[in-house]
Amino acid sequence: MKRIVALTLCLLLMAAVVFTGCAKETPAEEPAPADSEAPADETPAEEPAEGVTDDPDVSVLNLWSFTDEVPNMMEKYAELNPDFALEVQPTIIATTDGAYQPALDQALASGGADAPDMYCAEAAFVLKYTQGDASQFAAAYKDLGIDVDTLLTESAIAPYTVDIGTRPSDGALVGLGYQATGGAFIYRRSLAIDTFGTDDPATIKGEIGPGWDKFYEAAAALKEKGYAIVSGDGDIWHAVENSSDQGWIVDGALNIDPKREAFLDLSMQLKENGYYNDTQDWQDAWFADFRGEGPKPVFGFFGPAWLINYVMASNCGDDPDTEEREGTYGDWAVCEPPVGFFWGGTWVLGNKDTKIPATVGDVIEWITLDSSDTGLQYFWANGTLNGPGGTKDTVASGTVMAKSDGTLDFLGGQNMFEAFVPAGEFANGKNLTQYDETINLYWRDQVRQYTSGEKTRDEALEAFKQQVRDNLDVVVD
Amino acid sequence: MRRKGVSYAKYGYLFSIPFVLAFLVFQLYPIAYTTIIGFTDLKGLGKTDFSFYPDLFRNFKMILNNPTFIESLANTALIWIMNFIPQIILALLLTAWFTNRRLNIKGQGAFKVMLYMPNIITAATIAILFNAFFGYPMGPVNDIMVNLGLQSEPVYYLQSKMTSRGLVAFIQFWMWYGNTMIVLIAGVLGINPSLFEAAEIDGATGTQTFFHITLPSLRTIMLYVLVTSMIGGLNMFDIPKLLNLGGPDNATLTTSVFIYNQAFQGSRFYSRAAAASMIMFVIIAILSGVLFYIMRDKDEAKLRKEKRSLIKAQRAEARRASV
Repeated sequence: MKRIVALTLCLLLMAAVVFTGCAKETPAEEPAPADSEAPADETPAEEPAEGVTDDPDVSVLNLWSFTDEVPNMMEKYAELNPDFALEVQPTIIATTDGAYQPALDQALASGGADAPDMYCAEAAFVLKYTQGDASQFAAAYKDLGIDVDTLLTESAIAPYTVDIGTRPSDGALVGLGYQATGGAFIYRRSLAIDTFGTDDPATIKGEIGPGWDKFYEAAAALKEKGYAIVSGDGDIWHAVENSSDQGWIVDGALNIDPKREAFLDLSMQLKENGYYNDTQDWQDAWFADFRGEGPKPVFGFFGPAWLINYVMASNCGDDPDTEEREGTYGDWAVCEPPVGFFWGGTWVLGNKDTKIPATVGDVIEWITLDSSDTGLQYFWANGTLNGPGGTKDTVASGTVMAKSDGTLDFLGGQNMFEAFVPAGEFANGKNLTQYDETINLYWRDQVRQYTSGEKTRDEALEAFKQQVRDNLDVVVD
Repeated sequence: MRRKGVSYAKYGYLFSIPFVLAFLVFQLYPIAYTTIIGFTDLKGLGKTDFSFYPDLFRNFKMILNNPTFIESLANTALIWIMNFIPQIILALLLTAWFTNRRLNIKGQGAFKVMLYMPNIITAATIAILFNAFFGYPMGPVNDIMVNLGLQSEPVYYLQSKMTSRGLVAFIQFWMWYGNTMIVLIAGVLGINPSLFEAAEIDGATGTQTFFHITLPSLRTIMLYVLVTSMIGGLNMFDIPKLLNLGGPDNATLTTSVFIYNQAFQGSRFYSRAAAASMIMFVIIAILSGVLFYIMRDKDEAKLRKEKRSLIKAQRAEARRASV
């Protein structure tokens, strides 16, 4: 008897749980989109929403990022705004191995008190958060109380950052970057003098380009001296990827741009001729090559200004605590790359469900749209965010660039803006897709299969297509 | 038979409530949900609305026809076998040594703790650690091999398919043999000691005792080890995912990594992932059944059969008599 009672109770409990689960789901969804759409309908296009206020009970600002850049900016922001009383809680997950996206998606979808109030997205996947599968989580800048139209003109923001950050479903601006990420070729002066007899950027740019054929001629010349022209094939990949005419997906179908397909052969050439140290970007051996500690000294790297600022400086003997500069510090110079490209960039987004929209709006405005001398971009461009003498970067605002100075000790006194500002014209959002990071992961894996001799060229291409077919909602022929 | 008076049964129910509740909320509901969405078109980040496919088994057919899923099944089976065979052999050997009363090994406790140690470290940590060990072109293993003159130049270990699979299998083996050993030792200690005494008096050697007394008496424990290890092996996820992202070229793509990739990367095919999970459930259930069948006590089964036929015969006899 008891057994029967227990069993019925059990079944009832089960049923109760199953049904409460169902009940919870439906109502939670219905009102949410209705709520967020209502105010958007009332306010015309890019007028800032009025009366944006914070929930006074919230004492924490959750910030998600893939580097410590934006979290570090918050320290400066707090210093400039003494009444900023929130505790910044940064969550930093590197994009290495594609780890950042799944974690961020989970955090955004779950919501609640620990959901990100502000989050960053990188060029390789920003479209997903501004225009693609995850764009519904982003707050329109105007709903955060930002006067978008006026500030965009005032700061002369690079148009491609705006294009990428605009959500097509409602035409609202939801994300902006603070950098301009046009790329250049960053090379070692000492190796240039040894090989080409000069370290003058104007001459070196003619030695390594234009075009990949000239680049490989230079590689051969460097090899005779015992130098590698690049560290790994990942270095040229970024130049190849972002100089291509079309992205991975065109009209919902996988598209392998001829320039990207040619990467198979470019990579093979590097391998067969021993033009590189065969490293993978973002791994220990790659960092060692900045210091010149790899098997062969590496001539140069492809990168935008942030590569110098964020990656190279700290790996080339720049110790911010002492005045001493060791290693390859000061031995670098920047010149025009063999093909124009851009790489990366951080876009800053606000969560539409944040409880502190006014603060998030203020912070985002300060980072992305403030072109004054106390705006983030002015500090960023002049390397004064953490006091004078920091590394500098090209920024999105033309107004700020016009009044900034790009002279760097790291580059032996060269003004890097000379090389990077013209490179900005190559930055566009036309060959980006929301799945770039995932597709690139598959592509690079298969290219390595080909170059290491495990597969033929066709087998590698076929396996790549199969991986895309398996995991993405994309038509593959 | 039933005694009147205090019943302690209600305490049993009381104490089991926390488990039952946790199970219902955190396990039964997700299981039911997964089963349902396997038949639907649910996909896309943050989406929760779905409709059933007219062809209910569309996802299942798609998964079963997917070459990558088949490949991942083969990988999983291969890696599990590569890890389980050395694991059970070493665990049995250690069990034999530790329980051998003639050897009477000193400091057994310390040894057992040390052998169990790898299991305490998080799998994620070990995977990342091994990834760093086998780094290319610079990494501890390459440095040692080159300096010892065993290799002329650095080798890209993680780029080789078999090396990657071997590494995953080795990590699994290294992490779990201590656990298996502890379970087996517990099983041996549960065997009636008089059996061993009798064998000793009859002059059995250590090897004979092991093969003719210990092993047959361990049958149920062996079945337990086999089934749990198989379930664990077929659900292998963290090591292959973190060591090399299921790569190179899908060489360490296990079914669980495949399911993860379907559900939490790219376009998020939740329904396909659910279907693949259900397929894995069926496969595991069938294989477990096979193991139970293989490991059954044959003598006992025979005995039971005879008994049953005897009873049947008796009944028939009785019926005939009554007629």
